[in-house]
Order: sequence, then structure tokens, then C-alpha cells
Amino acid sequence: MRIADLGQARLQRSLTGRGLYLRTGPFTSRIQSPIASVARGIESLYRDFEVADHSSFYDFHCELRAPRSHRRFYRPQVLFLADRRSVFKPLAYHQAYPMLEWGLNWCIANQVPHRLVLHAAALERDGKALILPAPPGSGKSTLCAALAHHGWRLLTDESVLVDLASSEVSGPARPVSLKNDSIRVIRDACPSAVLSTPIADTLKGAVAHMRPPTDAVRRSHETARPGWIVFPHYQPGASTQLKPRTAGSGFMQLIANAFNYAALGARGFHSAGRLVEQSACFDFSYSRLDEAIEQFNRLADGR
Amino acid sequence: MDADTALRLALARPESMAERTAAEWAPLLAAARESALLGTLWHLADDAGLADGLPEPVARHLWGAALIAEHRSQALAWELRRLDNGLLSRMSPGVALKGAAYLAAGLPNARGRLANDIDLLFPRSEVERAEKLLFFEGWSGTHHNVYDQRYYREWMHELPPLVHQNRGTTLDLHHNILPETFRGHPDPARLRQQSQALPEPFRFRILCPAHLVLHAIVHLFSETEWDRGLRDLYDIHVLLGYFGARDGDAFWEHFVAEAEALNIAWMAERALWATNRLLLTDIPPEPVKRLARARAGIALRGLGRWAFVHGLHTRAGSVTPRRDAVARGMLFLRGHWLKMPAGLLARHLFHKAFLAEKPETATAQPQPEQHG
Repeated sequence: MRIADLGQARLQRSLTGRGLYLRTGPFTSRIQSPIASVARGIESLYRDFEVADHSSFYDFHCELRAPRSHRRFYRPQVLFLADRRSVFKPLAYHQAYPMLEWGLNWCIANQVPHRLVLHAAALERDGKALILPAPPGSGKSTLCAALAHHGWRLLTDESVLVDLASSEVSGPARPVSLKNDSIRVIRDACPSAVLSTPIADTLKGAVAHMRPPTDAVRRSHETARPGWIVFPHYQPGASTQLKPRTAGSGFMQLIANAFNYAALGARGFHSAGRLVEQSACFDFSYSRLDEAIEQFNRLADGR
Repeated sequence: MDADTALRLALARPESMAERTAAEWAPLLAAARESALLGTLWHLADDAGLADGLPEPVARHLWGAALIAEHRSQALAWELRRLDNGLLSRMSPGVALKGAAYLAAGLPNARGRLANDIDLLFPRSEVERAEKLLFFEGWSGTHHNVYDQRYYREWMHELPPLVHQNRGTTLDLHHNILPETFRGHPDPARLRQQSQALPEPFRFRILCPAHLVLHAIVHLFSETEWDRGLRDLYDIHVLLGYFGARDGDAFWEHFVAEAEALNIAWMAERALWATNRLLLTDIPPEPVKRLARARAGIALRGLGRWAFVHGLHTRAGSVTPRRDAVARGMLFLRGHWLKMPAGLLARHLFHKAFLAEKPETATAQPQPEQHG
């Protein structure tokens, strides 16, 4: 059953009761929250995702609720709990939905020991993965959201999963997080994209999330072969430029963006090594999104 | 079955894991993750021939955790060998304690165990020399303020932790297994005299079996924080079972005699009760009978046992969170009460509450935006 089939009332009941068992790619998250904005966000952004029943296994247990202190009434706050422990500093109550997304990212970064987890976006075309590892502010999510509406299948905006044995690439295909100007840029470039109402005053400025395209959600179990690793760099006024990068420096930059590379030791090294060997590495600078999309389509077509 | 019960049963009787349903596994994994026992469960399941029969996502979590523990062990063994071959070789060999000892001696609780830091025991008169030598290999001290220095060097059984400048590994140099100010003071010379050689290539020694288990017991039953308590109890359970099976009555005889000689029979009594009650450890009647003299009076005994049982519950898997919180509070007070005489304790807590700099933010919760 999908979220859309569940209906608002049952979604609400799951969230306030034993939890919503939400399937995102290879993971099931059990989510509990009495907060209305969380239910609304899930209803809209996870419309096409599968729901599991309460007898199923879940990988992550998340709860969003107000603290049990005066801060539930006075300048109310929200907490994110994983396995019943608060893992973040509290946020203002109206930021509960983005906090759910960040919390689910935290779960993948911290509670997935069996895969190499990269802090990167990834998309697929013709069975090959395009990985975009980059620090915040580099335009990775904007590129990812735009490509997801221009011929590429969204794998993930935030956490790339690399199989330790085969180096096959996958992702949970969850909503894409957009900040500040990129919200408008994506609205203009992708008229069919569904975005949540922006929340204006987070630490990162305005934040909105984009619903993943239906096809990407349906196919979120399909892995992709390593294809390209591209380090994007958004710079106002820059011309569109794709420059090859050596495998060695690509490897170093890739592991700098991995969450659990060090913890996995030799296995992490070999997994990342295979991924880089089987991919072409590039640096990419851009300022115009339409040119960037065109550039990536040429890359995929081998032109 | 609730997750804590299922986790304890999995540790005590690994074959019970075959009976767990998918719905039971999820909170069981959360409880095991909190107790740093995921990797241990993988090895237990594997040894019981269950690894292939586990639900696939469960197997992935357990196997992944075992991988990480394996890598951590390799790194720890490498660090130990470096220490052993470095400047410390100018001194008479130290005694490796806890995780490092289990690993170097290849004891059965080492597999899947997430060892964090290295603990070494030296005579009190030599421990600061070891600290000075290690400085030249990149190990430098933490806790630089005057009060903390005095706290460690005068009152505790270890120096302020050393951290390796490049690798971030933590190294604790001990001269005893309990603080100087603790109620009941074991004689550390006894520990060193009976210590045993490790197999090649190590120069480091380890405690004799009885002392090894007693140290694990002391570590848990003098603790103020019982957050990873179940892992510590599992160490005690495995070590008792292993040495009991290997050396039989001779081990138990020595265990009781040493518990009494080191003035820690009362902790051993509580530990045998807890590990038998919670992890079904097979303990012969004789040591229990002999240690019964060290039992607390009937009222305190009941209260203590209640607190141990609840303090060993996990937050993720417990069905009695309020009672557990009360028990954790009691254990916190108990740990401090044992650690220092009342006057010193009052002074220490006053300092920590009002005068001390607040701890660095290394353990503080991160901003959620870092994950967006």
C-alpha cells in the first residue's frame, strides 16, 4: 500500500499510534509524531512511497515531538529522537518537517554499517550512476532536482549507498532538499516539480523539499553500475565547464565525502577504489542550470 | 517478548535468535546498537549456525557491525604492537587491561566487541615515566586545568587520558583498578605479580584469569554511568563461562580467594548474582555460597538488585522507562558514594557544579542542519 492509498486519517492515526512504517529504497523507517506539519509533509512528499504493516522489520525508529519541558508551551520546540534518544539540538516547532528529513539522513549516516555511505547526490541513466559528492553550497541539490526532471532517475539527494562487494550504487529516492534561491530556480526550470511550502528561517535560510518523481520511487530498489563521479561547483557568472579529474584525486575527494569510510577500514577502501576505477571523474563548474542539464545529457549519451 | 529480554536471551542462548519475528528484531537491534553488542550478536548467530536463516535486513545490520568491530580490532592490535615496540620497551612490561587484553589474548568476548581505548597498568611509581616516554611518540594529555589534574593524579587510579595527536586513539595509563579514594582498596602489586605473559609478539602482559574477570566486575559495579552496562555484564558472563569451563574448580577457587584478598568480594557477589539472573551464566554453588558472606543486608540487597536490573535496561528496548530512570539515578549516586568519602565527594560535586569549566562540546548534540 502507498501513502496515497492510505488517506489522511489513517496516516494521521499511524503517526500518532504505533508509527508509520515507511519504505524508502532498501530501508524501512518507523516514524511516530503527533505534529500536524509532519503528517502534511509526508502526505504530500511521500505520496508514491510504500507503507509496510506493523509486523514488518524496520531499520530506523524515529520520533518527532515537543520536549517534555516548558518549551512545549513557551516558544515551542521540536526534538528528533532515534531509538528513543534525542540526537540533535532542538529546533523551533514549525521546522519539524525539515527536521524529519535531516533526522532520516542522520539515521542513514550513522546506522548503516553494511554499505559505504557517501554524502552525495546520485542519479541513474541507462543503468549507470552519476554521483555528485559536494559540500553544502556547491549546487549539488539544485543539479540533482533539475536532472531528476530531465531524463535522469533520482537515486538520492543526500546519501549514496555503495555495496561493499560489488560497488553497485543505490539510494533511498527520498525528497530533495532545496535552499534559498534554488527553490525558485527549480520552480522555474521544472514546472512539474512538487515542492513543499518553504520554511523561511532555518539556520540554512529558506528550506523546501521536492517530491521525488513517481518513477524514481517505484524503481528505488534498482541499483546502478558506477558511471560518473562529478564534483559540482556552482559559481555565479561561471561558464559551464566539465574538466576530467584524475582517479587518484577523485578518490581522495570521494572519501572526504564519505560518512563511514574510516570505520569500514580495508573494505571501505576497496569499495571506494572499485567505484572510482569504474567511473569517470570530473570537476564541473556552472552557473546556468539549462546548460548544466545539457552538459550532463551529452555526458550520458557519450557525446 | 520485549526487546531487552530478547537481547539478554540472545546473549545467553544464541539459538533463541531463530525464534525472533521481524517485528521483534527491529527493537532488539536498536537495543543491541545502544549497548554496542550488534557485532557480538553476529558472531553468536554465526556460531549457532543461524547466520543464513536470519531475515536479510537483520543479517545486514549485524554483519556490518561485525565488520566495523573487526576493523576497530585490527587498528587496536596495530596500535598495541606499536606501543609495545616503542619507547615503552625501555620499561618493564605493562599489563594490558580490558578490551586490549581480551583482543591480545584472543578471548571469546573479543569477537565483534567494539573496543574504544587502550588501557595499560603500570606500578604507581612508573606510570608517570610511561606518560613522559609516550609524549615523544605523539601521545599527549587531556584535562589541562589544575583541578582535573589533581583529581586524576591524586584521587584516581589512572592518569588523565592520553590522546594520540595524529590518530585520535585514547590511551589510559592505570596504576590500579579502583580510585585511590574508593571504599575498599585492592593492592595493585598483587595484580601485577600474578599477571601472565601474552603470546608472541607481545611484551605486554595480561591479568591472570581470576583478576581479569574481577577487573571486568569492578569496572561495571563501581560505575556511575550504566549506559553500556549490558556489554560489560556480557564480558563478565563470557569470561566466567570460558575460564570456568577451561580450568574448572581451580578457577573458581582462585576467583573467590582473590576477590577476598583484593577486598572486592562484595562486588563479586553482586556480579555473580546479576550475570546468573540476567544472562543465565552457569555458576557452581560453591563460590556463591562462599561469597554469600559479602552480601548486603536484606533491605539494601533487594534495592540494589532492583537498581542493577533496571539500570541494565536499554533506552531503546525498555518497557519500564520511568523505573529505569530512577534506577540510573540511584546507580549514579551509588557510584559516586563508593568513589569518594562523603566530605571529598561534596567538595568534588560542588566544584563540578559551580566552579568547573563546562565540558567541551565534543559530546554535545549536533545541529540537525548538518544533515541537510
